[in-house]
Amino acid sequence: MRKKRIAMLLAMTLVGGAVLTACGGGGKAADGTTTVEFWAAPNPPQQAFWQEMAKEYESVKPDVKINVSPIKESPSSEASIQAAIAGGNAPTVAENINRGFAAQLSNSKALIPLDELPQFQEIVSSRNMKGTIKPWVFADGHQYVLPIYSNPMLIGWRTDLLREIGYNEPPRTYGEILDATSKLKEKHPDKFMWTKGADLADPTAWKRWFDFFLLYNAASDGNKFVEGTSLVADDKAGVEVLSFVDELRQAGGILSQNATDPFETGAGVFTDIGPWTFDMWKTKYPELKYGENYELTLPPVPDGMDPADAKTYADAKGLVIFRGAPEASRQAAAEFLKWVYSKEEHDVKWFEQTNLPPARDDLTELEGFKQILAEKPELAPYAEAVSKGVPAMDNPKFNEIQTLIGQEAFNKIIRGETDPQTGWDNMKKAIEGELQS
Amino acid sequence: MIDKRNDKLGWIFSSPYLIFGLVFFLGPLVWSLYLSFTDWDLIAPEYDYVGLDNFLKAMATPGVQAAFWVTYKFMIIFVPLVTAMSLAVAVVIQGLPRFKSVYLIGFFLPYLSSGVVASLIVQGFLSYNSPVNEFLRGTFGIQIDWLGSPLSALFIVGLILAWKFTGYYALILTSGLESIDQEIYEAAAIDGVSDRQRFWKITLPLLYPALYTTLILSFGVTLGIFTEVYQLTGGGPNFATNTWQMEIFNQAFTNLQAGYASAIAILASLVTFISIFAIRKVLEMWGKRNGWV
Repeated sequence: MRKKRIAMLLAMTLVGGAVLTACGGGGKAADGTTTVEFWAAPNPPQQAFWQEMAKEYESVKPDVKINVSPIKESPSSEASIQAAIAGGNAPTVAENINRGFAAQLSNSKALIPLDELPQFQEIVSSRNMKGTIKPWVFADGHQYVLPIYSNPMLIGWRTDLLREIGYNEPPRTYGEILDATSKLKEKHPDKFMWTKGADLADPTAWKRWFDFFLLYNAASDGNKFVEGTSLVADDKAGVEVLSFVDELRQAGGILSQNATDPFETGAGVFTDIGPWTFDMWKTKYPELKYGENYELTLPPVPDGMDPADAKTYADAKGLVIFRGAPEASRQAAAEFLKWVYSKEEHDVKWFEQTNLPPARDDLTELEGFKQILAEKPELAPYAEAVSKGVPAMDNPKFNEIQTLIGQEAFNKIIRGETDPQTGWDNMKKAIEGELQS
Repeated sequence: MIDKRNDKLGWIFSSPYLIFGLVFFLGPLVWSLYLSFTDWDLIAPEYDYVGLDNFLKAMATPGVQAAFWVTYKFMIIFVPLVTAMSLAVAVVIQGLPRFKSVYLIGFFLPYLSSGVVASLIVQGFLSYNSPVNEFLRGTFGIQIDWLGSPLSALFIVGLILAWKFTGYYALILTSGLESIDQEIYEAAAIDGVSDRQRFWKITLPLLYPALYTTLILSFGVTLGIFTEVYQLTGGGPNFATNTWQMEIFNQAFTNLQAGYASAIAILASLVTFISIFAIRKVLEMWGKRNGWV
């Protein structure tokens, strides 16, 4: 009797477990419903957008269930995705994926090439993103990421401080910035020109997107840094960038110490600004008004280059579909994405809710976007600069490469521990060694 | 005569911890050892056996070499600091006429606090435009990059850890002090023993078992530092605060090199085992030489 009871309990546990597994597997359930596990960026506006889209889609396609949940960030969203893949619990789709991480994932065969899906070309043409998607092709010729948004990073200038030292327009070339720095230090010895803070001295790989690559893309006209296993960086541009940073440091123009909101509190004149900043400013720094006390421009360039044509780093992220998801879910996910991007009002809604410029070619032309840009003029420079944005490198070793840029060159220049040429040469040697290993 | 029933009961009572240890310690250790000989990236379905390559690469890498030395630098800063602070707290609290447990709980609270929160508070406190730095700049013209210079970054992290662990160790030391028979002190007082002699000749020898425990625990802490360093310095500047855990995290979860990270973890385990073994021997020799054990 007792043995029977134990056997019953075991059987129930197994059946229960199997049912739960079936529910959570993301495939086609017995009632014909296909489930898509959708991992959204862990911020409220993006989650709200995707939840809204999922709900709307489920009403027109009742046999599909889109489960939208935030990507866990402990210790990082990349680590959570990695752990989920290793544990066999990867979602069907994840957003907020940059090219570098996608390269790591595709290198490990965790992603499906989106260009092989029949829905992909339809999305590209209906969303009008043929131009924007071009630089997203990976080294193997495939497209693993469908870009959602592309943030060309811009430089924010405190025009109130600039006016105090006699500048009505932000300086745009290295020489002009160095001149402005000496004027600034004369008037305000405790203020800085570049107010980025401790990130400049930190070798963490992703931080180089917002300092080194911002300047390098502008100085090199968007020249690639690495191609496959070769370092193809523009030496002249690289050394010019490091020399500029070195001279700015020597002039006392760089704040490289940890500081709380140094740009916002007026500790200095310029820093990189992304459009996600403005919502925070509205509540925390309402006194900051675009056109009144700050301006936005493309990154500075070496003397002799036209700053209006400068390229910049594009903080661009997109969607990927995981190979480990069941076939039915992957198909349903592709259909869902096709539906989302078949209507331009969805992109308008995205832009309105998140401030992140959708990755499409007609951002400044469509009426819906024009209206948002009229209401939020600070977003206009981003929309205009989408074509100037260069996305992150697609190398699976991007973390190692960018860490070496910091450790061997950029961070050392910031701390005054090396000269630009030696730093650049050491960095090249270290990266070439890493690429060959 | 051995009672078989008690034997069985012992196994049953020990089984939760044994199972926990097998699943969460021994299993991952064996798996990690296996991975350390591969180039697996934690995701790819296939990977290769690479022999000792991961170990050889790790030993030649600046990050791993830094992790080795940084651990001992933290030991030099943290262990004396936390021992002195916890001993002082324990001695003061033991001398209080009442509310000892209330004070002990007060000192114990930092141990329960989140390392992330504590680090963020310290980060704000030491930032360029914090009131502390504004004051130092305005009054003395001093500008210190607290987390940007190697020595001060090490000290800041060491101080946060000491603040966190002082109450915990003080709790152990207080119970050690409480267990010392008061008659010994009374007899010493009759013999005219000074306060200094009382501490060095009576308290310290009789506190040795508790002190031994806190010393071993504090050495152990320095071999596993992560949160504070991750949050405050990222292992910098220039690897000055790069610990074993930071290096393992970066290689496994940032660079996706699980095999290589496993090799570093195995090296870290070996260093930890050898260090703790050596420290134990030194502490035991110290106790024996003074006749405390």
